[in-house]
Amino acid sequence: MPTLAIMVTTPPFSNLTVTAIDYIKAAIAADIEIIGVFFYQDGVMNANKLITIASDEYQTIKQWKKLHSEHNIKLHLCYTAAEKRGMSDEIETMSIDESFIVSGLGELVELSTQADRVVQL
Amino acid sequence: MNDIEHTANLGSSENDSSKSVAIINSKAPYSSSMGKDALDVALIFGSYEQDVSLFFHGDGVYQLIGKQNSMLIQLKDYLKTFSAFEFYDLETIYVCQKSLEDRCLTDRNFHIDNAVVLNTKAFSEKLHQHNIIFRF
Repeated sequence: MPTLAIMVTTPPFSNLTVTAIDYIKAAIAADIEIIGVFFYQDGVMNANKLITIASDEYQTIKQWKKLHSEHNIKLHLCYTAAEKRGMSDEIETMSIDESFIVSGLGELVELSTQADRVVQL
Repeated sequence: MNDIEHTANLGSSENDSSKSVAIINSKAPYSSSMGKDALDVALIFGSYEQDVSLFFHGDGVYQLIGKQNSMLIQLKDYLKTFSAFEFYDLETIYVCQKSLEDRCLTDRNFHIDNAVVLNTKAFSEKLHQHNIIFRF
């Protein structure tokens, strides 16, 4: 099975993130194994559980959680980029959703060496 | 490496830990954090001893121009870190000649000395020799 790693750089309120989610769903449907999604730059905001998207709009954050729970997709977060955007995994100020793994850019190197292909969105 | 070999390599790299990575810098240095974010990615790949090349294209070429004083606009000078590229084994740096010409930057007063200026075709060919491309 071919393997794919994805880097997401766009925030949850961007329609470009919907493209990223659709792309991943299409890859899963085509029997491509997603070995991990790495969130960098504004992409880290997809892990912020304090962000509310209007109920009549596409729920990007819920879709990421669904991809994780239904397809066991690993969602890695660049912690430096997250901290810059006011996100935290400390108990008192926790804003990072549990579906996401707090990582660093080293994880992007790991994913890049393991995947047949890397796509940045 | 010709194109056919390159295409063949893409599919069979499952256990290949020495894939080549190209990082394209396409934005001017201080109006966004793109340049700094690209630099962080480059330094990490370099420190993991990965094969990394840097490409400067479009407004990204402004990141190479010397004697910029970012302190005038209260910004930390991340371009200074470019001088550490050698330490991280980041020794392959390509610059798009057309992008320099379009911006009247043909003096080549770069603040690093190992940047290679290439015409559009050669720039594109070098880019195609890499397995992974990131763009900032």
